[in-house]
Amino acid sequence: MGKKTAEGQVIVVTSGKGGVGKTTTVANVASSLARLGHKVVVMDLDIGLKKLDLILGLENRVIYDIIQVIEGECTLKQALVKDKRFPDLYMLPAAQTRNKDDITPDQVKQLCAQLKKEFDYIFIDCPAGIEQGFRNAIAAADRAIVVTNPEVSAVRDADRIIGMLESANFKDIKLVVNRIRNDMVKSGDMLSIDDLLEHLCIDLLGVVPEDQNVVVSTNRGEPIILNEHAQASTAFNNIAHRTLGEQVDFPTFDDITLWTRIKSLGRNMFSGR
Amino acid sequence: MLKIKGLNDSLVLVFEKGSFEDYCSVLEEKIGANKQLFNGSRVIFRGEGLRNLSHDEMIKLQKLCLDNGMILNNTASETRLKEKPVSPPNTLSAQPANKTVPPAIPSGNKDIIIHRNLRSGQKLHSEGSVVIWGDVHESAEITAAGDIIILGTLGGVAHAGYYGNNKSIVFALNLVPGQIRIGNKISRASDDQTKRPYPEIAFLENGNICVQEYNSGKLPRR
Repeated sequence: MGKKTAEGQVIVVTSGKGGVGKTTTVANVASSLARLGHKVVVMDLDIGLKKLDLILGLENRVIYDIIQVIEGECTLKQALVKDKRFPDLYMLPAAQTRNKDDITPDQVKQLCAQLKKEFDYIFIDCPAGIEQGFRNAIAAADRAIVVTNPEVSAVRDADRIIGMLESANFKDIKLVVNRIRNDMVKSGDMLSIDDLLEHLCIDLLGVVPEDQNVVVSTNRGEPIILNEHAQASTAFNNIAHRTLGEQVDFPTFDDITLWTRIKSLGRNMFSGR
Repeated sequence: MLKIKGLNDSLVLVFEKGSFEDYCSVLEEKIGANKQLFNGSRVIFRGEGLRNLSHDEMIKLQKLCLDNGMILNNTASETRLKEKPVSPPNTLSAQPANKTVPPAIPSGNKDIIIHRNLRSGQKLHSEGSVVIWGDVHESAEITAAGDIIILGTLGGVAHAGYYGNNKSIVFALNLVPGQIRIGNKISRASDDQTKRPYPEIAFLENGNICVQEYNSGKLPRR
């Protein structure tokens, strides 16, 4: 399958705080889009602390890295690693032995300009923090996805990041809330989606529930979207569809009990559907 | 004597009662003790002692700072304003080429009105007053020489009367900041904040920061 759109889109996935699930989001949303037949490349800009190749299970296929492309040691085509499951998914690996100051925003822009010609979607895995690595990651992006967890420290960092994206003239900034636990939200021990949206004032792109399967599949180097029974899998697929501009309802991820089924049945009958 | 304080990325040199020689020796000693701290720092001169210094002495002190890599950030210093009348106004107005000399700007022109939210890490400073149509999120900072009026929620840090105007106020439709500063006073929010869904105003009274429900009939004396 070839490229579908004329001009590729560059989407940066960022968060400020580390460990909230940026790389997991990139790996799964990109895989999901590739499964739908779009040509997708994921670019790991967490130079020195790369993880994307691990999560995608492509670590031992890496030959060249992004620094070598920039320094002219190899071509961009040589460095791109083809995914083992989805033929339309490619990865541009980060260098582990260098650091974020070794590349500049302009170099990232040039790379993205080349990739845009070949791919529909270019996902950039942004490093944690707000320094050079962050500036490199947002330099070429057209859209931004901010990942956060429902906890105050992650929300504070997300707020900071959104502020910086706004000052960098980003118009399309969307929120992904990762690792939410509905039981804790219900008991009032965790921030709810409404709390987060009210505070951060940006549009919601997706809600990913806490799911033990994610740890399992991450350790195996497989995207969670391959496990169709996992709740997180549904969530990432929905995010992929919304990224394409489709309207997908937000499921509540409640435990479906007999009572909620009766309630929804009643609601559907009365609403005439 | 001379005290050195840190304030919002700047070093404030507070000149209390003392002689020019004392200031010089103390400053040189402090710079010698910690060169790195001063090098590249922005410096503000403040304090009563400045009034007793002559123009030349001020210049010597400033040169001492500049020689040690400091950046003078004195735009708001009280002494500058005080020294202005020293230049004879008659000769100035007689010269046609004095267009480059800015006239004394009335404080009203420095006010800022913005229509957006201030997010974490964003900073806003006004040499006058500030009006914000939006929220000020936690760990955002507003400083103003005059009043701060927020038509939304204040969750960050607000410092009204930045240069010591104790008559300044902070107003917000929902006033829940971690800290409020007015003039040189700081007050911290109590750890168990109750919800107060009405506009509130903070002002200085007898040296303490008071917060009360906004009532146009009972405004603090200005």
